[in-house]
Amino acid sequence: MASKTSKGLTWYAATWRLPNLVWQFLFFVVPLAFLFYLSFWLVRNYRMVPGFDSVNWVKMLSKDYFWDAYYFTFCMALVATVITSCIAFPCSYGLAFKTSNATRRWAIFFLIIPFFTSYLVRIYSWQVILAENGVINAALGYLGLNPFIMLNTVVGTLVGYLTLALPLVVILQTLSLSNIDRSLIGAAENLGCGRLRVVFTVIIPLAKIGLIVGAVFCFILSFGDFVSPYYLGGSKPPTLSILIIDTTKSGQQWPRAAVVAVSMILTLLVVAFAAVTAAYRKRT
Amino acid sequence: MNDSLVVFKNVVKLFGEFVAVKEFSLEIKKGEFLAIMGPSGCGKTTTLRMLAGLDQPTSGEICLNGKLMNDVKPSERDTPMVWQTLALFPFLNVIKNVEFGLKMRGFSADERRIKAMTWLKRLEIEEFASRDISQLSGGQRQRVALARALVTEPKILLLDEPLSALDAHLVIRMQSVLTRLQRELDITFVYVTHSQSEAFAMADRVVIMAKGEIEQIGTPREIYRAPANRFIAEFIGRNNIISGSILDKKENLITLQSKAGPFSVSSPEKLSLEVGEKLNLVVSADVITVSEKKPEADNVIECSLIGEEFIGSIVTLFLEAKGGIEFKAQIQQREIQNLDIRSGSQLFLSWPTASGHILPK
Repeated sequence: MASKTSKGLTWYAATWRLPNLVWQFLFFVVPLAFLFYLSFWLVRNYRMVPGFDSVNWVKMLSKDYFWDAYYFTFCMALVATVITSCIAFPCSYGLAFKTSNATRRWAIFFLIIPFFTSYLVRIYSWQVILAENGVINAALGYLGLNPFIMLNTVVGTLVGYLTLALPLVVILQTLSLSNIDRSLIGAAENLGCGRLRVVFTVIIPLAKIGLIVGAVFCFILSFGDFVSPYYLGGSKPPTLSILIIDTTKSGQQWPRAAVVAVSMILTLLVVAFAAVTAAYRKRT
Repeated sequence: MNDSLVVFKNVVKLFGEFVAVKEFSLEIKKGEFLAIMGPSGCGKTTTLRMLAGLDQPTSGEICLNGKLMNDVKPSERDTPMVWQTLALFPFLNVIKNVEFGLKMRGFSADERRIKAMTWLKRLEIEEFASRDISQLSGGQRQRVALARALVTEPKILLLDEPLSALDAHLVIRMQSVLTRLQRELDITFVYVTHSQSEAFAMADRVVIMAKGEIEQIGTPREIYRAPANRFIAEFIGRNNIISGSILDKKENLITLQSKAGPFSVSSPEKLSLEVGEKLNLVVSADVITVSEKKPEADNVIECSLIGEEFIGSIVTLFLEAKGGIEFKAQIQQREIQNLDIRSGSQLFLSWPTASGHILPK
């Protein structure tokens, strides 16, 4: 009798989960498996031929330009993550602890607005601002300073990454900071912990999960982004996503591009898994 | 030599338009167990938070140990608090929680460990030292919160409804833990609660607050037997409040005419009362004797039973006298066996003249 009910419930639950499972399987697992399979195909006379040969992997992983791009992309994403988290934190802290509920609601609303416009449009507008004869350098020239080259440098790329990730990271951090039990902050002060010290000894540990999830989002978005390094960074040095474009353009090398794509996905899986594990690890 | 540790002088606290605390003046003595009691929203917790520096008074002065505290940051006061929510740090284990205050004061790791372990032992929770907070029961968490607050050896401990989340039997145990600790340490405890039983069981002195003001200060016995006004008489429960006017006044005996009949009561020394004046008589439910036959006593009234409330060894009877006046009487469970208690039973209530208390208006 009891087992019948529990079985019934399982079927009921499974029915609701089914659409999601089907969707994930068809549009995530299957393409991923195909991408992986594609990385073993061959190209003959500019045409792809199905096969199962590890030559693409050997070729790509033995090339210095692949590892240079990998290292550069990883470092840029890491720098963007650190900068974004550091800029976002004071802002989120202010929104979570120093503003009224109404102000916080409006702020979160305004942080969502950037997502209304295409990322590409926002990046183009940065070109106008960052260009050698753009808004910033015009202002610097007005002050009698030499123009500061930002477009087609890593500065440009980082500005693009921040444009992409900062609003999202601020929202995630603000939400996790707002959920902190205020009495814990009061308790820390009550036990002799000064205002600034409270931030590091109590608030950051309490908001750890939200802060790490925000950072992971920033890393994932920056690591895989193609628009910023292309339009603001001038593709030099190339990131992995630009390497994919270049590889497909040169002689229809889709299988080699698949090698790059699979290595990117594996990297992100490892990073995300490690970060989430760290976020939920108990500290004593 | 002044023996007050804390002095509140005309302290006012406003939250926007709302007056949380108004013109609050109070002296708390060294080594005293003081309870601040009142209904929700009466300003008792705000008062405690102001003492800890977590809220700033809008006006007035708060002195601790003779020093004006108004501009002293909470982290620079030595006024540890046990929170209603306990506010234990979930990301630290038991001993790290207890060590927190010592760490902030710059004690070395060894000293911290030794002091923290001493307190864990004293509160009989040393076996849980390396456990997570989430693995503890309510009573164990309570003890961790106490150890964390006391480990820095403060002169005063603030407690904000610390027992409100515990089961009834644990409340009784923790009450004895608290009173014993307070006596052994000989420090001041300021205990905020809405529970009359907690305040009366532990405190040397009780402050009753309502709407941000002090209604009465006194020992539990004084407040129980001689409530200062109608609010307190009603707030501390199980009191019969009889309204009437003075029919006769002889030396120290007043006869009060009420809807339920005339009652006699000892005249309070401090009040000068005139014949014909309206006043309220308080007779607490536990001084009333219940009998089936009309007894020989100072005050007797015949009532019919309308209900009873049974909470273990004590039974509260609800009765109605003529004129629709309701009475409550508390008697021992074993006494009730000799009575005929059915709904509508006619019973006689009686109490001695000296047991009544006239409310100053």
